Amino acid sequence: MNGVPVPGRLVLAAAGLVAAMWAVASGQNAEAPIHFVYHPIDFRLESCETPQRHAPETMAGGVAVFDYNNDGHPDIFFTNGADIETLKKSSAKYFNRLFENDGKGNFKDVTAKAGLAGTGYDTGVAIGDYDNDGYEDIFVGGVHGNHLYHNNGDGTFTDVTAKAGLDRPDSQYGPLWSVGGAWVDVNNDGLLDLFVVNYLAWDINTEPVCEAAPGKRDYCHPKFYKATANQLFLNNGDGTFRDVSAESGIRAHPGKGMGVGIADYDLDGLMDIFVTNDKMENSLFHNRGGGKFEEVAFDAGVALAEDGKFISGMGVDFRDIDNDGLPDIAFVALDNETFPLFRNLGKRGFADITGSSGMARQSLPMAGYSPTIADFDNDGWKDIFVTRGHVQSLGYASRVQVEQPNTVFRNLGGARFQALTGEAGLTAQPPSRHRGSAVGDLNGDGRLDVVVTAIGAPAEIWINDSPGGNHWIEFALEGTKSNRDGIGARIKVTAGGSVQYNHVSFAAGYASSSAGPTHFGLGAAKSADLVEIRWPSGIVQELRNVAADRVVKVKEPPKLMRRAFFFTAPREFTLCGELHPSHRFR
Amino acid sequence: MRAEVLERTWEPSSWLGIPAGWHASPQNPCTLSASPGSRFGREDSRLSRYYIKYNGSKTDSMKSVLILIASVACAWGAADAGALAEATAGLGLAREGKYELAISHYRAAIALDPHLPGIYLNLGLAYMKLDRFPDAAAAFEQAAKADPASFQARVLLGMSYYGCRRFDAAAVQLKLAVEQQPENLELRFKLAQSYLWSKQYGQAIEEFRALLDKDPDSAPVHLLLGEVLDAANQEEQATAEFEAAVKASHPEPEAHFALGYMDWKQKRFEEARREFQAELASQPKHTQALTYLGDTELHLDAAKDAEEHLRLALSLEANIRLAHLDLGILLAARNDDAGAADHFREAIRLDATKPDAHYRLGRLLRSMGREQEADAEFAKVKELAKEEPQAPLIALPGVDRKQLP
Repeated sequence: MNGVPVPGRLVLAAAGLVAAMWAVASGQNAEAPIHFVYHPIDFRLESCETPQRHAPETMAGGVAVFDYNNDGHPDIFFTNGADIETLKKSSAKYFNRLFENDGKGNFKDVTAKAGLAGTGYDTGVAIGDYDNDGYEDIFVGGVHGNHLYHNNGDGTFTDVTAKAGLDRPDSQYGPLWSVGGAWVDVNNDGLLDLFVVNYLAWDINTEPVCEAAPGKRDYCHPKFYKATANQLFLNNGDGTFRDVSAESGIRAHPGKGMGVGIADYDLDGLMDIFVTNDKMENSLFHNRGGGKFEEVAFDAGVALAEDGKFISGMGVDFRDIDNDGLPDIAFVALDNETFPLFRNLGKRGFADITGSSGMARQSLPMAGYSPTIADFDNDGWKDIFVTRGHVQSLGYASRVQVEQPNTVFRNLGGARFQALTGEAGLTAQPPSRHRGSAVGDLNGDGRLDVVVTAIGAPAEIWINDSPGGNHWIEFALEGTKSNRDGIGARIKVTAGGSVQYNHVSFAAGYASSSAGPTHFGLGAAKSADLVEIRWPSGIVQELRNVAADRVVKVKEPPKLMRRAFFFTAPREFTLCGELHPSHRFR
Repeated sequence: MRAEVLERTWEPSSWLGIPAGWHASPQNPCTLSASPGSRFGREDSRLSRYYIKYNGSKTDSMKSVLILIASVACAWGAADAGALAEATAGLGLAREGKYELAISHYRAAIALDPHLPGIYLNLGLAYMKLDRFPDAAAAFEQAAKADPASFQARVLLGMSYYGCRRFDAAAVQLKLAVEQQPENLELRFKLAQSYLWSKQYGQAIEEFRALLDKDPDSAPVHLLLGEVLDAANQEEQATAEFEAAVKASHPEPEAHFALGYMDWKQKRFEEARREFQAELASQPKHTQALTYLGDTELHLDAAKDAEEHLRLALSLEANIRLAHLDLGILLAARNDDAGAADHFREAIRLDATKPDAHYRLGRLLRSMGREQEADAEFAKVKELAKEEPQAPLIALPGVDRKQLP
């Protein structure tokens, strides 16, 4: 573990300047406990929406927030559509885009230099450093074609899809439609493996034609399409991957996948995988070790909502909501289906708390796409930001609100949530058909911001200006024995008499990836008394008395280091990790 | 506000079209012994027999009716006497509530003289009294065919279609009747109901609103208008109508229940609980209110209250699926696995097409280690849980994408 002292006073001064620039750009004041202001970015999601209403046209919109050049400022990558007939990016308007964040409110389009414009109809994105070289790589999932871009570390990427063995059509299903994926080390060998979520079997020539009313074409119900299998690719460690979908047990459970969340829900040290399916039962792949998975969604009580009906499972996040150390599941669906919440009860499986949490009542009229569990007001309780918008096209039916504002559900302390929409500033932009979302502290003020895409509309950056002055801390892990991103590491933070948990996962929401440091709100606590990190390797690391309001870089120790730190760190320094210069004290 | 059409049509003066004030005397010597070959000759003794029979046993009012009919027949001289005798007998039996017997006489009358005025109307009415609505409709169709301008045939045909749950057809007939009597509010009320149940929501809303223009304080109209609006997914307006029904000077039973149901649907469980309790204050044995109150309390984590209300509902009516499902959930939560399984199975018995009970039972069986049974339940869930598409979104069969513009 490195300890690089950074003078706090200098950092503090710089932080004030930067925060002021972002605030001027927004021109709004915070009022609700969680509040955002709109910040524009020059990207428009082009899904090639045609009068024929082909299914992919309403499913585009994955986005990633990650630091592609390791400058400490989270950057933004947008996936984009293509010509629906050819599935080729026939125009520049369909290019995927990479925007470099200068930390001052400016996002520079560096797509061309990076070589990330893409070629096909792209839908989802998953960030992960699959070769452990310290630079985040990009997996892009799309309609009948996926791509793996290797980060060269010099601002450019190389398409290594074929070399990696990820370019082959499926022997059973043919070309698949991926809506994204998750990087996860399923066998704890220190290498990130790739789980690819596939939606449904789609062929433009045989796709059914559906009408919402006579002569009024609209997107077909998923039941008119066949399910497809998800895929698991094991990382060989040499830049190639091996398709283990069948032998792992994943392939035996086809679905219409829309979202993936990863977590070790039974705390057995192995990462499990939850997949939401559209109008089908969800899948919970329990990692039994030895490269085998068992699908246990029915047994665990997460296959369906409590009424046993199929709902339109969309994006998902899989994290501890109630601070009991057990990862819970939040996913979203369409109007009249509610946004289900499953509370992890440990050995007793999961309980559907959608009703008792207040989520059922508040989400009933909403259509959601991308939920992200994160502490947006830094009060120590994770909230849920949901991008909203209906799957159908504009003018589908008068009773259905196709374009909707986004909503953040504030965690009132455990298992109750309060929906904030206009109060949170999220009606500052017109409602839209929002799709993907990714979070990260774009302006380095310690409050998590959100990037959102919308079909046929400009992307939105929602800068978090929540009041309250709560403290925070972020952990940027660097695995050595474990995968370098530390994906799967479980972090327990004790601060101000409270305990909370999170784990490193970049998979969140719909088709998106939030690949920043792992964030904790600390409320009034100015330091974390104890930080315990359980690495995927099994190594347990403890940090004590870690000052708040900073990003702490933590490198995995070479051996067990429980109770390694007993001393108190001076406020100006972080002895247990590196304070990144782009993040400041309040 | 309820329609009274049926009772009124029992008055013979209305269906025979006898002028008001026209009286027959018991001493009317209507000669039934007409010359041989006449229409009266063959059945005269039969008519006399019936006349005597009823004359000797019935009340004064009944006597007068029978005498009236016989007199009319004699006076008109146009009907077969035997048919009249059968019709008269049928009418008398109907008056006594012996509708099956009445029908046999009406049928006998029709066999003798299918053109006997009013016979199909009375036949239809007897069928309606027996809830044999398809037979009633067939009779009224004949009546309407015989007299297309007949208001009553139109009304009764509409009512019988309504009874057959052929609401579209009912609406057509009742609409024609309303055109003849636009101020007949009872008729319009029935027409509006026909629109409601035939899912012609726009017309239903229009009719109910027209009725409210005449009587803004009508609780039943507010209640039914709320039903239409709810069915048309105009939930806020529906709730407003249910609130108006509650606040009317003569509140309609069910109004609080309807309001509670709206809250329950919207997951507003605290509010729903209050409304169900209000309904139960006036109707303590309202099984639906008890059941939904129990379900609401289950959602509010008030397990004890929920169980009390669900059990009470089941004591009043054993076959309530939701009550069994919820009791199963409550018992499973306190590890009464056998009891829970019984209730889940009962819920499945009552409606095996709902996936929720299968899902709950499957999870329970899995926790009990009964793997195969659990798998069977989960398989049923997967089979059943395929919901219909939202809205009228349909796939057009046989359409070739490539041929489309």
